[in-house]
Amino acid sequence: MEKDLKTVLHAWHVEGGANMASFASYDMPLWYPSGARNEHLAVLTGAGLFDTTHMSILTVRGKMARLLLQYCFSKDLDTCLGPNRGPLLPGRCVYGVFLDTHGHVIDDSIVYQVTEDLYMAVVNAGMGGTIAAHLESHKKGPDPVISDLTDRIGKMDIQGPSSARILKKIIKDPDVVLQKMAYFSFKGWFAGNEPGVFRVELLDGTPVLVSRTGYTGEFGFELYVDISQTIRLWEMILAAGRAFNLIPCGLAARDSLRTGAVLPLSHQDIGHWPFVNNPWLFALAWDQTGQRFSKDFIGADALSRCKNQDYTLPFAGYDPRKINAGENSFVTDTNGIRIGTILTCTTDMSIGRAGQNVVSIATPETSGKPKDFAAKGLCCGFVKVTKPIAAGEEVILTDGKRKINVEIREDIRPDRTARWAIAKML
Amino acid sequence: MKEINELNLPEGLHYTKDHEWVRVDGDTAIVGISDYAQDQLGDIVYVEMPEVGNEFSQGEEFGTLESVKAVSETYLPLSGEIVEVNEALADAPELVNKDPYENWLVRIKPADLSELSALLSVDEYLDLLNG
Repeated sequence: MEKDLKTVLHAWHVEGGANMASFASYDMPLWYPSGARNEHLAVLTGAGLFDTTHMSILTVRGKMARLLLQYCFSKDLDTCLGPNRGPLLPGRCVYGVFLDTHGHVIDDSIVYQVTEDLYMAVVNAGMGGTIAAHLESHKKGPDPVISDLTDRIGKMDIQGPSSARILKKIIKDPDVVLQKMAYFSFKGWFAGNEPGVFRVELLDGTPVLVSRTGYTGEFGFELYVDISQTIRLWEMILAAGRAFNLIPCGLAARDSLRTGAVLPLSHQDIGHWPFVNNPWLFALAWDQTGQRFSKDFIGADALSRCKNQDYTLPFAGYDPRKINAGENSFVTDTNGIRIGTILTCTTDMSIGRAGQNVVSIATPETSGKPKDFAAKGLCCGFVKVTKPIAAGEEVILTDGKRKINVEIREDIRPDRTARWAIAKML
Repeated sequence: MKEINELNLPEGLHYTKDHEWVRVDGDTAIVGISDYAQDQLGDIVYVEMPEVGNEFSQGEEFGTLESVKAVSETYLPLSGEIVEVNEALADAPELVNKDPYENWLVRIKPADLSELSALLSVDEYLDLLNG
């Protein structure tokens, strides 16, 4: 067996007492001594810091960069911005997927427009080479130039309602940088002078890219620096965050947070099957009618012709009990008829039931959170089933021995902060 | 993650390869999971218990422990009948993380104490953990 890769923060994680595990060929922290539960809760009540340096980062540079991405990426870069369907602009980024000709997902990604001719695509750990090769194979000439910068950039995510107040302590001119910073916008660059890019610096002058994104469903930022600055930035944030109850968080909390926020894990919830009938179709290039695609892109034909495909649906249970997603596990309807498989099954520790409703520790009492609410956590995740099932109906998860009833839902963890106006968070 | 030498592994208990422990207490025996098991599982969020009166044979699954990440089965170290379950864990499953020896899972009436010979001493359990 090949040895797992390590991020530059690996030694820090081990010294910090993290429980480590293999994820996408990297030896990564699952949780630190504070435990996955506290880490998950910190991202709702204070802030959490995640090492995401294992993720792959590509740049696509040249006059043909946009055209190439328009053909390879599922989102229409010319109409993806806001309700008025504006084009992607420098300083804005967008979530989508790279599909193959069968409409299957190669990987999901956030594509950043940096300047007129420079784009950055952040894909999952270990996927940089695959996506770079995919883009290369669809180029019509030498332009654009595709570079895999994965090993040259340190990336970490600061997530939670205190994130902006912590970030303010470590960057220059924070008011200018953060003012009116919209969800899915970014400023700065991780290296020296990139012509035409607004420069954002840490207090000591280190260039940094600050992106108002993340994968927890909560308010926060993803930060990119030169790889040599990674540990320093990590420790800087931990020090500045101490007064705001920031703690380092591992992959277990990241998994439960993203599941509660109904975000897919690539190669688990989306993958080698057509990207249809799932909660993430907003990642496709729809025209104004929402019925047809607004551009030609790889996989579009296959998706348009898809018939009789499975349905991927979010669910939540009634207590923390789970069924491990695995080969021996399956989904039945309430009559016991087998109808599909479990893709993700985890516990969102910040939610519970108030009667039939799901409430979170962040739900205001005026919105139905009981006064004495103590979150015990609910099992939640995604199932892939052979027929459509309406939200509110139940299915049964089983490993052949144990059975638990869960409710199909449109959403899982209510009252998330990811889209809150930044003015409120400073 | 705790290093092996940081684990709390009391003497006088009998351990299993599946990381449970059993302590004979008069004509009953108390069963729990080891410090290694709770550390590997991480935050325990739910404990599924058998019913009092249920009978299991040695090594048979008698319940589950749920961490944030996964569900793990628990296996009975000795054949016997469940005479008591630790009710405190229903409301506070995290107690198992705090002290997995104080916060036992079930009390049983062992059917055959000679089965203890198939279990591990502290030293044998440490050998197992050290691989």
